[in-house]
Amino acid sequence: MSSDTTAPVRPRRALGWGFFLSELSVLFRRRRTWAMLLALAAVPVLIAVAIRLTDDGNGGGGGPAFLDRITQNGLFVGVTALVVAIPLFLPLTVGVVAGDSIAGEAGTGTLRYLLVSPVGRIRLLVVKFAAAAVFCLAATLTVSIAGILIGLALFPVGPVALVSGDTVSVGESLLRSLLIALYITLGLLGLSAIGLFISTLTDAPVGAMAATVVVSIVAQVVGQLSQLEWLHPWLFTYHWLDFADLLRQPIEWSSFGANAVLQLAYVAVFGALAYGRFATKDILS
Amino acid sequence: MNRTWHRWIPAVAVPAVVVAVAVTGGVAATASADLPEKTPQEVLALVGSSEVEAFSGTLEQSSDLGLPDVSALSSGSGASDDSGAAVSSALELATGSHTARIYVDGPERLRVQVLDTLAERDAVRNGDDLWLYDSDEQSAVHATLPSHDGGATPEGSFPGADGTVPTPDELASRFLDSVDPSTDVSLGSEQTVAGRDAYSLVLTPRTDDTLVGSVTIAVDAETGMPLEVQVFARGASSAAFEVGFTDLSLDTPSADLFDFTPPAGTEVTEKELDAPGHDGTGTDDDASDAAGHQDREPTVTGEGWSSIVETALGGDLTEITSNPLFSQLATPVEGGSVLQTALVSVLLTDDGRLLAGAVPAELLQQAAAAE
Amino acid sequence: MTDPAARAAPVAPADAAAPAGPALRADPLGHVDPVASTTPAASAAPDTDPAEFAIRTTGLTKRFGRSTVVDGIDLAVPRGSVFGFLGPNGSGKTTTIRMLLGLASASSGEVRVLGHEMPSNLARVLPAVGALIEGPGFYPFLSGRANLHRLDSADGFASASTRKARVERALDRVGLSSAAGKKVRAYSLGMKQRLGIANALLTPRELIVLDEPTNGLDPQGTREVRTLIRSLAAEGTTVFVSSHLLSEIEQMCSHVAVMRAGRLVAQGALDDLRGAGRTHLRLTVATPDAPTAAATLSRLGVRQAPAPAPAPAPATFEASHPADRTTTDPGIHPAPDPAESTPLEGELPETVPAEAVVAALVADGVRVRGFAVERASLEDLFVELTGEGFDVVQ
Repeated sequence: MSSDTTAPVRPRRALGWGFFLSELSVLFRRRRTWAMLLALAAVPVLIAVAIRLTDDGNGGGGGPAFLDRITQNGLFVGVTALVVAIPLFLPLTVGVVAGDSIAGEAGTGTLRYLLVSPVGRIRLLVVKFAAAAVFCLAATLTVSIAGILIGLALFPVGPVALVSGDTVSVGESLLRSLLIALYITLGLLGLSAIGLFISTLTDAPVGAMAATVVVSIVAQVVGQLSQLEWLHPWLFTYHWLDFADLLRQPIEWSSFGANAVLQLAYVAVFGALAYGRFATKDILS
Repeated sequence: MNRTWHRWIPAVAVPAVVVAVAVTGGVAATASADLPEKTPQEVLALVGSSEVEAFSGTLEQSSDLGLPDVSALSSGSGASDDSGAAVSSALELATGSHTARIYVDGPERLRVQVLDTLAERDAVRNGDDLWLYDSDEQSAVHATLPSHDGGATPEGSFPGADGTVPTPDELASRFLDSVDPSTDVSLGSEQTVAGRDAYSLVLTPRTDDTLVGSVTIAVDAETGMPLEVQVFARGASSAAFEVGFTDLSLDTPSADLFDFTPPAGTEVTEKELDAPGHDGTGTDDDASDAAGHQDREPTVTGEGWSSIVETALGGDLTEITSNPLFSQLATPVEGGSVLQTALVSVLLTDDGRLLAGAVPAELLQQAAAAE
Repeated sequence: MTDPAARAAPVAPADAAAPAGPALRADPLGHVDPVASTTPAASAAPDTDPAEFAIRTTGLTKRFGRSTVVDGIDLAVPRGSVFGFLGPNGSGKTTTIRMLLGLASASSGEVRVLGHEMPSNLARVLPAVGALIEGPGFYPFLSGRANLHRLDSADGFASASTRKARVERALDRVGLSSAAGKKVRAYSLGMKQRLGIANALLTPRELIVLDEPTNGLDPQGTREVRTLIRSLAAEGTTVFVSSHLLSEIEQMCSHVAVMRAGRLVAQGALDDLRGAGRTHLRLTVATPDAPTAAATLSRLGVRQAPAPAPAPAPATFEASHPADRTTTDPGIHPAPDPAESTPLEGELPETVPAEAVVAALVADGVRVRGFAVERASLEDLFVELTGEGFDVVQ
């Protein structure tokens, strides 16, 4: 009669870097991911080309102030493109990635194999969220860098005027561009957590993606309704356009902090909901 | 499933904690301080002895007026202002709340930044140089003060001239200047503003002829600097207008901040400053669509809280009255139109006079008729 | 039955709750479970030594809303066995497997896998379990090799340094080495199935669960899988194979359990079931003199089944248990029309030689027009136990 010490004697579970890297490689080996990044890169390119073609030496006029600046300094293309991409394009791509995170695995039938590997459900959620966060960064950097590159190609480049009217060097402006990308990435984390939660609710990835994108649109619409003003500071979209605070002199860090707190609250709430749902879910896909 | 219910605990607990932190965090911010007892006169003296030369901070201003008119209010206390600019900036103030950063280093170095979404308006004074910069318009106004520095440009009035966000200091001095027998001064409960302990001065008009219920001024216990001003309409429990620091540092700001050069591509207007009463009126670009007749001196009737300021606008009034915003906000009355807000009434008479004051509209009509 | 380990494995009880003695259990449908074991001790075994079973469930039940998909099953899979989990589509096999692997939670009942309580010890147990669940699931946009790397990295216990070697060995083992670089999108169903099996073999396992492993495989592939399972068993690995095809189970399993509509209707060592079948021969007599023949057969101790079309009643199978035939009541069903040659069916006791039956019939004046003796097959057993056998249970 053997004792019950027949449990597999194996090394302790790894921290999950290997699986995280594997998750990233799966994410970035998908053609869909690259298609989305290309589409995002097309935003600054289209803006820059359109302005270059229609430039009558008068800055176009009537448009947002940032659009006018582009003709004077190509480094503004990246920031302008981010302003354009924030309301729809970025949430769209983030919604696809976050909404796909669990539901997509369920859809391809790989979820059950990951779980019996065993990956651990919490570990899977954490890695999925981390991968979505990496995608958020990749997406914002794509817009920003594509903007800077096309700006370099089509427009003069020089020291950059901040919204405060002060002028900073090209180097510092690039540093601030990076800060803005980080700020927007941070701002998208709440949406990623919502997408992750929605993704645990269904086995249909397309439904989860669409629902996540709809949530981001609804939040922005609500953010426009003055009747619901009391709700605005609670919306994850509330600080999205405040990245301009990083273009002030000196940098206004309070919105960065407020954005971080808000997004962390969203991540905590929807992370907990996703855990509750996923840890109790019967995997029947 | 019955054995897995506990996995939902975080999903319930985390939102509860988040909400609890959000709610109690707000309460903690207004927790009262424990300060030595002082009489209202001692606090007034503290304000008078305030010697803060250099500071930087963030201001929050919010109004719940419908149509606020801060300049008209300050006009009531005797300062002259440009009524056209006042109308335009007042309309802008009606849009709720503003955030501004202020950097001060002595009386001659000052910078105020009004933080707008994706834009900013700056007012910079560095010695005799004055700059107004609007990032949205990509325009700047430059002026050089006369070297003798006419007494009509105290450091606090400059940002006010920009018409956007007045500082608590500036506003408080206007109110405190008007402390006279018509005003009852008392002390409210102690406050914490921008993380600093503060006394709370409450100014209550003794007259019933004003819309103002009371004015509360938070005075920094350490320096005597006004940190927050709240104006309550008669009978209202929440402030109709308030401005205060959310963040304050008494360190000297970096000198670079006052060294302003407009960026390349900015449209710069040079402005001559010769009349001391009209300095810093560079925003008349903004005001030109309202009425740019700044050469008529307003007259003040009445005194204290119920004073009324009157300006003859002259010219073609249809420029104003045809504005859709005007017809939306103003109510036609006998002899003109009234813009009624919680704190201020404005009467535009059919014969082209503008009357304003922190008084009910009927008093404006009486004043207009008395002419 | 090439695996000594399987042969040496203890005989599985059908139900720990069954009374000791002849381990038979009448299920609510009126069927009687064939249980190979007749040793009372075996019934108590799982409780005294759970480690002896690779899988042990007690009253395992799964309900979805009002429908009960798995209804109180008591599986006992001995270590080292090749365990066939047989049942028609929709009988609850896959749901059971999901509960065994912690993918779905049980509504009630307990699961022990490799000696450990299950949902709570997933991380301890699952690294030693390889599984193919309800068909392969892979990322179509990755190559077969990349898919295995992915799944291997998901196992937090598997060393990253030996990952490449593990993956190559697993690919080699299922014969996919040459196609490993192709995208899974381009794989045939059979190739995907092999890849799924390769995934189950990534690390050395104590238990391998294969759900319908030969689905989509050509006969050659089926044979290979069978060989693979035998070689795994030879290494001492417990293999739990589910299938709706008896032939499959029959050819490679040492033990078998039969599911029907969420219930476990039979469980035991295949040898015992087969052995029971071997002692009883199915006898068919075609004669117009049915009443006479029936009487003769009855006298010889041949227990007869209703003729001509035996209802899907347990009679045939029941008869294969001599132990149960203490009160023999030969049901003799003469053919209604004596003019016709009617087939009579019955079970031939081992003690009676077939030729003696013929001689007796002839001696009694029965016109024997046809006479056949066949071994009762597992197929009969399966069809018997699962009702019509292959209907999808709603």
